[in-house]
Amino acid sequence: MITQRAANIAFNILVIVAAVFFALEAETFKTSGLLASTGLPSKFFPQLMLAFIGLCSVIVIGAYVFKGYAGTDKGTSVFEDGGAARRGLLVLAVAVACYLTWSLWSFIPMLILIGPACALAMGVRSAWMYVSLLLMSGIVYLVFTQLLNVQFT
Amino acid sequence: MFAGFDVVAQSIGQLAEPITLALLVGGIVLGLIIGVLPGLGPPIAIALALPFTFHLEPIAAIILLLGIYSAAIYGGSISAIAVGIPGTGAAIATVQDGNKMFKAGRGGEALGLSLTGSIIGGLFSVICLAFIAPILATVAIKFGPREFLAISVFGLVVVVRVAGESLSKGLLVGGLGIFLTTWGLDELNGTERYTFGSYHLYEGIPLVPFLVGVFAVSEVLIGAERALQKLDFDQTSLTVKLPGFRKLMKMKDVLFRSSALGTVIGIIPGEGAAVAAFFAYSEAKRRSKTPEKFGTGHEEGIVAPETANNATVGGALVPTLTLGVPGSPAAAVLLGAFLIHGLAPGPKLFAERPDLMYAIFIGLFIINVLMMVIGLMAIRFAAKLIQVPTTFIVPTVLLLSFVGIFSVSNSFFNVGVLLGAGILGYVVRKLGYSIAPLSIGFVLGPILENSLRQSLVIADGSVGEFFNTPIGLGIYAALALTIFGGPLVGWAKSKMFARAEDA
Repeated sequence: MITQRAANIAFNILVIVAAVFFALEAETFKTSGLLASTGLPSKFFPQLMLAFIGLCSVIVIGAYVFKGYAGTDKGTSVFEDGGAARRGLLVLAVAVACYLTWSLWSFIPMLILIGPACALAMGVRSAWMYVSLLLMSGIVYLVFTQLLNVQFT
Repeated sequence: MFAGFDVVAQSIGQLAEPITLALLVGGIVLGLIIGVLPGLGPPIAIALALPFTFHLEPIAAIILLLGIYSAAIYGGSISAIAVGIPGTGAAIATVQDGNKMFKAGRGGEALGLSLTGSIIGGLFSVICLAFIAPILATVAIKFGPREFLAISVFGLVVVVRVAGESLSKGLLVGGLGIFLTTWGLDELNGTERYTFGSYHLYEGIPLVPFLVGVFAVSEVLIGAERALQKLDFDQTSLTVKLPGFRKLMKMKDVLFRSSALGTVIGIIPGEGAAVAAFFAYSEAKRRSKTPEKFGTGHEEGIVAPETANNATVGGALVPTLTLGVPGSPAAAVLLGAFLIHGLAPGPKLFAERPDLMYAIFIGLFIINVLMMVIGLMAIRFAAKLIQVPTTFIVPTVLLLSFVGIFSVSNSFFNVGVLLGAGILGYVVRKLGYSIAPLSIGFVLGPILENSLRQSLVIADGSVGEFFNTPIGLGIYAALALTIFGGPLVGWAKSKMFARAEDA
């Protein structure tokens, strides 16, 4: 299992890289016309926050590298066990897949997919659960389209 | 800042409309149901109901959400008592004594105590809200950029301090939340910032999809991890037994202290309900003549946290309504509801919509009274919902979040924001960061940036000018006291003990 220490160090390195990218991106902000000379430049606050985030990330990395923990997560893992990790990450993948299905095709395929796919990702074996989830999707669809007059694309 | 009896009468008239009354009752029932389900707390409950309020009148919509907010906090105690799993973070402190009483066959008493405590705490905080909010709004109308800067800094620092064990981690996610608000057109001069050529981002990252993603989607993903765990409990102990007057009088000190603590902690931005519940529990234990009974199924161990956590509702609404600064994550989502209805919480709202303000005060009072009746009738049914499998809740909440966010704005881009924010929330939670600073930072970001930039212009670059305002100075002093007060008192106590031991 991935330890909190390794995951946090990797995450904070990513945060620092992203902070540098966004700080450089802020250099390209252009204010046109008379407003350009009023007050502080637009890049000031984002860059200030990015510097702050970067500093915090360095401190967190320092804590994990030298102490081995930050707060109370000494010797702990990101996931409880392999099963929990699989279920969590698979449902995350289902959520992304449903979003893509909606965006590439339309709402109805996503509506049909979301319940059974989530259940499958969580390892559900009961057929009743799959039926219940399909029913739930139907009810949600009816409530939003008939009661709230929402038009899904 | 009393607007007059005609405004109060107008508010009562609007509350008395059948649709508003029906929504009020519906909100309590829905809040109770969502609160009972482990993991789904008040912010998620409010977020899921937001799309349904889009077509309602502002007063009816806000009353529905307030009903959900109050009842969801109380609902968390039912699962805490019955199965030892808190429905919400606010009910964690209730588990210790509540579940012990339930297992000892005194479940009805425990449920009665939690219901009574919740209602007394809720009513106390509503009265405080009705008195404090108008006064604070009168003061806040005079606030300038420097005062708003001080309040934003105060709010953020306090949230970070209470949100987690690691200060640097809290500050990091708080900073991340603020940074994300800088995307879109610069409000002061119209410069495009991080729009990446997309017109969707001109108005920045939308508040409601972001908050729903951070709270609901991330919770769904975490819930999926423990999806196959089954919950079972003895359902014969679910008949509520309300405490008698004599018992309540015996606990009057605990009730009053916990109500006051909850209201005050609610006013201070942070993880109000959970912190208040723990604080009230430890205070009750510290002042008790029989502290050893706490954790063994002691009545005061239920009353103290349950009174305090519901008292945070009114408290959290004080800064939300008067300053536009949310007092809790749930209040941050509620703030989003105000914005959806074209209302900007802040001191001006009291002058512009006094009818709404009085409707909120009176509505909250009615909600707490009705919660007693509905609670008594519905606990037995609500408790059975604990057994609804997580494998059913996960896809349902995910689908409701998707369609709900789409229906509010008719924008598929917002669904993308919801998913992105959900993944961000999931990652940071898995890595041991709290999402409270992230959400509060996201709400406070624009206030912080605008007030900082305006203050710098007013101060002509001089940092000293930032403190040249009595109100601002007072807020900074309160902040310093919050940060250094505890350690200083601890240091002074240790010195005194050392001297006493030497003597």
